[in-house]
Amino acid sequence: MTTANLRPLTACVPACILLAVLAPVLAGLIGAVLPATGWFPPLGGQRLSVVPLTAFLAEPGLARSVLLSIFTALTATALSYLLAMGLLAVLVGTGAAGRLVRLISPLLSVPHITIAVGFLFLLQPSGWLTRLISPWATGWDRPPLLNLVPDEAGWALIIGMVAKEVPFLLLMGLSAASQIDARRLLDEARLLGRGPLAAWALVVQPQLGRRLVLPVMIVLVFSVSVVDMALVLAPLTPAPLAVRILAWFRDPDLSFQFIAAVGALAQIGLAGLCCLVWAAAAHIWARAVRSVCARGWRLSVPYRMARAGHALLLAASVLPCLLAALGLASSLIWAFADIWRFPDALPTRWGLRGWALGGDGLVRAAVTSASLGLSAAAVSVLAALLWLETTTTARRTEGLMYLPLLIPQIAFLFGLQILLIWLGMDGRLVTLLWVHVVFVFPYVLLSLGPSWRRFDVRFADVAATLGAGPFARFWRVKLPILLIPLLTAFAVGFAVSQALYLPTIFASNGRVATLTTEAVTLAAGAGRQTLGAASALQMALPLMVFLGADFISRLRFRRFSWFRV
Amino acid sequence: MTCNRILAYRLAVLFSLAAVWLASFGLQPALADEFDTLADRARGQTVYFNAWGGSPTVNGYIAWAGDQVKARYGITLVHVKLTDTADAVARILAEKTAGKTAGGSVDLVWVNGENFASLKRQNLLRDDEWAFSLPSFSFTDPAVLPGLTSDFATPTDGLESPWGRAQLVFGYDTAYVPRPPRSATALVDWLKQDGNQGRFTFPLPPDFTGTSFLKQVLLEVSPDRSVFDAPAPSDKAETDAALAPLWAWLDDVLPYLWREGRHYPANYTDMVRMLGDGEVAIAMAFNPSKFSNDISAGVLPDTVRTYIHDGGTLANVHFVAIPFNANASEGARVVADFLLSPEAQLRKANPDIWGDPTVLSMARLSADAAAAFAALPRGIATLSDAELSASLAEPHPSWVAVIERGWAARYAAN
Repeated sequence: MTTANLRPLTACVPACILLAVLAPVLAGLIGAVLPATGWFPPLGGQRLSVVPLTAFLAEPGLARSVLLSIFTALTATALSYLLAMGLLAVLVGTGAAGRLVRLISPLLSVPHITIAVGFLFLLQPSGWLTRLISPWATGWDRPPLLNLVPDEAGWALIIGMVAKEVPFLLLMGLSAASQIDARRLLDEARLLGRGPLAAWALVVQPQLGRRLVLPVMIVLVFSVSVVDMALVLAPLTPAPLAVRILAWFRDPDLSFQFIAAVGALAQIGLAGLCCLVWAAAAHIWARAVRSVCARGWRLSVPYRMARAGHALLLAASVLPCLLAALGLASSLIWAFADIWRFPDALPTRWGLRGWALGGDGLVRAAVTSASLGLSAAAVSVLAALLWLETTTTARRTEGLMYLPLLIPQIAFLFGLQILLIWLGMDGRLVTLLWVHVVFVFPYVLLSLGPSWRRFDVRFADVAATLGAGPFARFWRVKLPILLIPLLTAFAVGFAVSQALYLPTIFASNGRVATLTTEAVTLAAGAGRQTLGAASALQMALPLMVFLGADFISRLRFRRFSWFRV
Repeated sequence: MTCNRILAYRLAVLFSLAAVWLASFGLQPALADEFDTLADRARGQTVYFNAWGGSPTVNGYIAWAGDQVKARYGITLVHVKLTDTADAVARILAEKTAGKTAGGSVDLVWVNGENFASLKRQNLLRDDEWAFSLPSFSFTDPAVLPGLTSDFATPTDGLESPWGRAQLVFGYDTAYVPRPPRSATALVDWLKQDGNQGRFTFPLPPDFTGTSFLKQVLLEVSPDRSVFDAPAPSDKAETDAALAPLWAWLDDVLPYLWREGRHYPANYTDMVRMLGDGEVAIAMAFNPSKFSNDISAGVLPDTVRTYIHDGGTLANVHFVAIPFNANASEGARVVADFLLSPEAQLRKANPDIWGDPTVLSMARLSADAAAAFAALPRGIATLSDAELSASLAEPHPSWVAVIERGWAARYAAN
């Protein structure tokens, strides 16, 4: 086969992938815009009007909901970013970086709702923390009347998101740091007499920041429109905007559909606003850095203080992750507790009540989650390979692929639901798979892209001179070399699919229960034992996939061990 | 003349009684035949039952019902676990929006009150009075239990089939509350006492139980509760005036509520868990045997007991309905009939299984069946039927939205 024969393929494949990913988003957006402007025939909306808008604006507590969304999103993203950058500054090039990543990457693979449930189990007034210190240290024989989880300002939600996003940004940052050779830049800055943090902030961060724009925007948009985590950790009087939009969609008074549609558009505006604020802050920071460099200012910090600063930074970034880990631990205890009353530090009777009560439902949800996750990851990895092989360099269109992550989910999922019903495709497994892929594919591309694009073509050239055709070069040279990033991308894709909440309920008509939808239902009041069991399964599934990926790569590299010299 | 008229009247009564008597011979087999053909057509169907899925006991019962209809009628029952029944309402609407008049995704939905009123108003339900023609419906007696045909004052018109009964009961921990407050006013006094402050709350409206608690207080503190039997007036000044006593009551207790009324539990199971933790001292549920169930499950300490308010508490009936575009409407009707059968109702009423009171009339059951109901165990915290007899009728469903919106604007927006 010659290159000429491949050309139609290289033109067609990316276009098809682009269409498959973007069509649902755009169609869904139209499905939100029409009702928002008053056009929704089945409810008697036949002409354009501003009634939905005025009704939306008249909703009680709207301003507070909006402020809560903005505050939690910006704070969580800023904290996650600063902590991830701080960790990178301290760790890049040291062996500790790899160890830390291995330590916290399990957090990356656990769904958001599982982290949230863990926080609930840990930090509630009746949670594990107060149980551990009561009554012997506190005198509390009843849970104290404290405003913990959810708290007034949304800090529980913020810390929960930070625990989830620090590992994500750290991983993205490490990958970007290796691309710009951060170690060398750092060394050079250090040779010029800068301290490690200053060297990082003045030399490495400006370059790194540019490469992290996309991941940060993804985090920002996700945070401002998160629903599942907010349902558990955010104050609900009033709730953040995204939660209220879902409530409007679900209101038995169907005229709220119009308000919900306006809310969906407002959510996009909110996400845009947050991104603008972020960009402005980044711009100011960049100017500040430039002027500091230009004027040669330097701040001399005593060595001991710098050490203390490092330790503090490390503690600050590890604390949310540590809380998350303790929360997951308390979920596991609940999963195997029959009776565990306040203020006992541990269950008084262990057992499997949660599993018995959860019954078939949990098992079925786990099977659905696993098969959906595996298929979505497989399809996405395949699509990513096709995309990367048919587009030579990172094209501008690649940015479009991230659109599903950059538009708040709730803004287009309702419109999409109507479209799917109209096409007669609602509630089918294949539809659910497709919608999952829309969200999984961008993450897979994000994870796989950089290492794929950095593949040293000389390997392929050597193979070509040995007479290998394009497919042999791909199968026998490129794929084995890039096996580890490929498996990682697969595991990432699986984890993303696991965590999807809104896409699952909207695309499946609520008919298909995954562990995540089950956990959200259970978190609203079912027994803690069953909720704990659901959480345990949510931890186990991604872990198994990651272990499986690790096992395959080890197996592979044992065969090639002679190759490593 | 007068005599003739009386005679004519008596004859008319006699003839109609005779006609009913004769018809009952003809009707029963006809109904049964009709149901048999229905069951034949239902065989092999998959019924998607959209029902709130937040309670493991309820979920367990529905799973049992699924096994039963599978074995008897070859119907596969899939429980679509809802967080909120309004989800299903929205979905049926979305299908209507998309012009999907057949093959819909919801076959059967657990519903009552406001959600039913909404479905009915939008013509989203199967409307051939199917519920009245189910064989098991003959075991009920709407004359004794008017809620069977009038769902929160909205006529059911056979659009939904009764499934169970509910009454608001309060559970309290005798370890902390020696004498529970038996009225809305007494509750305020109790809540203001030292040691009780912060130890009471209710589920966040529009949660069903949370809104019900607001309605309960409203009915108790209103000088004239007959206003709420009629639809809520569209004039805002009138509704404001009607609801003023409720807001005054809430303003009074707000500082003494759990977390000063800044946060609320998500629903009643969440609140009952808080009772078990000792975080609150009083909780409420719409199922009289909920507290006994949870004592035997180890969620609650065995010091918990229940009570209702002296003036009575809200009581209502819950139903199952079939959407206009259900894909398996035959299967759905067969399932609805099974859910209403004495056997299924008996199991549901058993506090070890679920403890949801039956909608059947004991007088219309066989002696054996009635005896089986009488022999059901009663948990240690469950009130007797006599104690539960003081009940309040639900306000017209149109008040729900008014109350919920008023509540949200006052207490959930700052």
